[in-house]
Amino acid sequence: MRLVILCSSPYSETSCATAARLAQWGHTLAGAITLPSWDRITLLRKLGQWGARESARYAWAKLWPGRETTAQQVRNPYLKAALQARGPLFRNLHEVAAAHDFPVLTTADQNSPASLAQLRSWSPEAAVFTGGNILREPLLGIPRFGVLNAHLALLPEIRGMSSPEWSLLRGVPLGITIHRMDAGVDTGPILLRREFAEATECGSLTDLRNRMIARGIELMGEAISALEAGRLSPAVQADREKDHQFFVMHDRLKALAERRLRQRKPSPAAGQTHG
Amino acid sequence: MTRIEPSSSRDISMDRTAKILREAAGLLRGPQRIVPLALKLGSDALGTKIEPRTLYTYAATSQPTENALRSVMGWILRARRRHGGIAAFYSLLSGYSEPYPEVTGYLIPTLYDFAHHRADEAASRAAEQAARWLLSLQMPSGAFPGGLHGLAGGPSIFNTGQILLGLVRAFRETKDATLLERAVAAGDWLAQIQQPDGSWSGAGAYQGVSHTYYSMVAWSLAELAATGGGAEHAAAAERNLDWVLSQVKPGGWIDGINLQGYPFFLHFIAYILQGVLETGLLLRRKDALESVAHSSWVLLRKFEIGKRLAGAYQPGFGGGMKFACLTGNAQMSCVWLRLFEACYDQRYLNAALKMNEMLKQRLTVRGPGGVVGGVAGSYPAWGAYQPLRYISWGAKFLADALMLELRALHSLEAACAS
Repeated sequence: MRLVILCSSPYSETSCATAARLAQWGHTLAGAITLPSWDRITLLRKLGQWGARESARYAWAKLWPGRETTAQQVRNPYLKAALQARGPLFRNLHEVAAAHDFPVLTTADQNSPASLAQLRSWSPEAAVFTGGNILREPLLGIPRFGVLNAHLALLPEIRGMSSPEWSLLRGVPLGITIHRMDAGVDTGPILLRREFAEATECGSLTDLRNRMIARGIELMGEAISALEAGRLSPAVQADREKDHQFFVMHDRLKALAERRLRQRKPSPAAGQTHG
Repeated sequence: MTRIEPSSSRDISMDRTAKILREAAGLLRGPQRIVPLALKLGSDALGTKIEPRTLYTYAATSQPTENALRSVMGWILRARRRHGGIAAFYSLLSGYSEPYPEVTGYLIPTLYDFAHHRADEAASRAAEQAARWLLSLQMPSGAFPGGLHGLAGGPSIFNTGQILLGLVRAFRETKDATLLERAVAAGDWLAQIQQPDGSWSGAGAYQGVSHTYYSMVAWSLAELAATGGGAEHAAAAERNLDWVLSQVKPGGWIDGINLQGYPFFLHFIAYILQGVLETGLLLRRKDALESVAHSSWVLLRKFEIGKRLAGAYQPGFGGGMKFACLTGNAQMSCVWLRLFEACYDQRYLNAALKMNEMLKQRLTVRGPGGVVGGVAGSYPAWGAYQPLRYISWGAKFLADALMLELRALHSLEAACAS
């Protein structure tokens, strides 16, 4: 399938690994649209999410890899295989683009007229969202199969932010949903919905997130292949209007979610629920 | 918070100008306040310029809640004036105000809560002293006067309601029959002068008209009914609740704040919600809880998405003035925490934790006693709500919010452990 990747930063590991994996599966990457590496909102978000020390370490490893080992250069160890598939580690999107021969457009606004014009010129059948701006209607309607997102929770139960943490705290099974984005927050039609069975192996919320991100990339590949083969059709979310939106979780509640994670026992029933 | 006020817009404007000039003159009498004033203005100016607001704003603990609580309660205890009444505010221009009966009344439950939480004898004694002082102010009708102490205010419906909250709590703690007797007299007066539709208007009402934030009065009557008062007090509370609920719009906005000359400050919006919620809980009115949950969710979304609540809104929660009404924020935290306790939706607790985080970051840690641990009327300090003042009802609602947070986390942690 002819694809475009939407990214929050050229240095996003998730974006690089997604692009690399989709190319490995034989999809054609028509291009990528990314926010700049020094985008203020992204930087502030990462500072808030990771803290100053971890953010600085990440930036140092990406910009001046020097004597850092591969393990030190990769924040999410479960993405290492995807990032290293061609030998040297992909440190940014430009390196993935050079290896797989697709253009990268850097823009401060993925919804801008220039961005929309570029996207149209690439004629993608689908776009894969790995981060960036809140997407508006003109952009969402350009690719034939829409803009696809891997959401780290089961939809429609848990929409919005801190979704694995909220799943744990609310007692909702952990899961990943591949859905077609619409103007709402995680309210678009569902392509694939899977419970996440590896949670019992996770020692921390960070480890859980890392594993889920890696699993989400694999599920995205599976969904795109099934969509291309006509084996998958989007299912409209049943209670689209009901407010299942969640917001960034406070650290005190995260600590409780982590405690819930450690208390988990293997679930024999974990498996596919849609798609 | 209500006062006996002039009625026309021109009178209101003149009255406000006179107050500003009077307060500004206080700086001449107390030049030692110039440095704290300059520091506060400077830090707020800097803070509003450079503070980034992102998805993760306020999602981490900056200082332990227990420390912040001790600091706020320290401010409240230092604000006590002669005979146990508590000052309305500490002005950066003129220092402490006279004691304020209304706020002294509803600070009594806060003082007792803290006394139990920390086994603090001083807080317990302060609550009892405050209750005794309030009894000395009661009018033969059972009503309490409006305004600051010493200004010879007439009987005030709202202030009587808030003092009633304190008397009922003091009776529960001490079992002193005089307290209940006087509380019933206050409740009888409130029930007698209630309008047939359940609202309160006329001479004892602020600006003479009915207000939906008098749901706080209904709350006090419901508390009285649950603590030895009569069925007539519960009936009066229920009549007011019905009237307030009839003012709720489909989008969650509640009409009838009716404050001539003032914007719709978050403080008053939150008052309505607190009053309806607590009355609804006491009277077991599911419709009241659902209504508050609906309106509170609108504000929760605004806070989570915009990382702030406006100091005042237009009807329908539109518009929004840029300053923060810190008292209103603390009240909304209380509403969300009580909703969490009522319906166990952790999203309310999450929002309250973040709101409390923001409020803790606004507490001043250095300066004179009237500043340290105090809650400013507005952020920045020159905002439209109680500018350049640290207000006692702001400290009260923040202390309540912090204690509710500790209780909520304790219950959730216990649930997770089991």
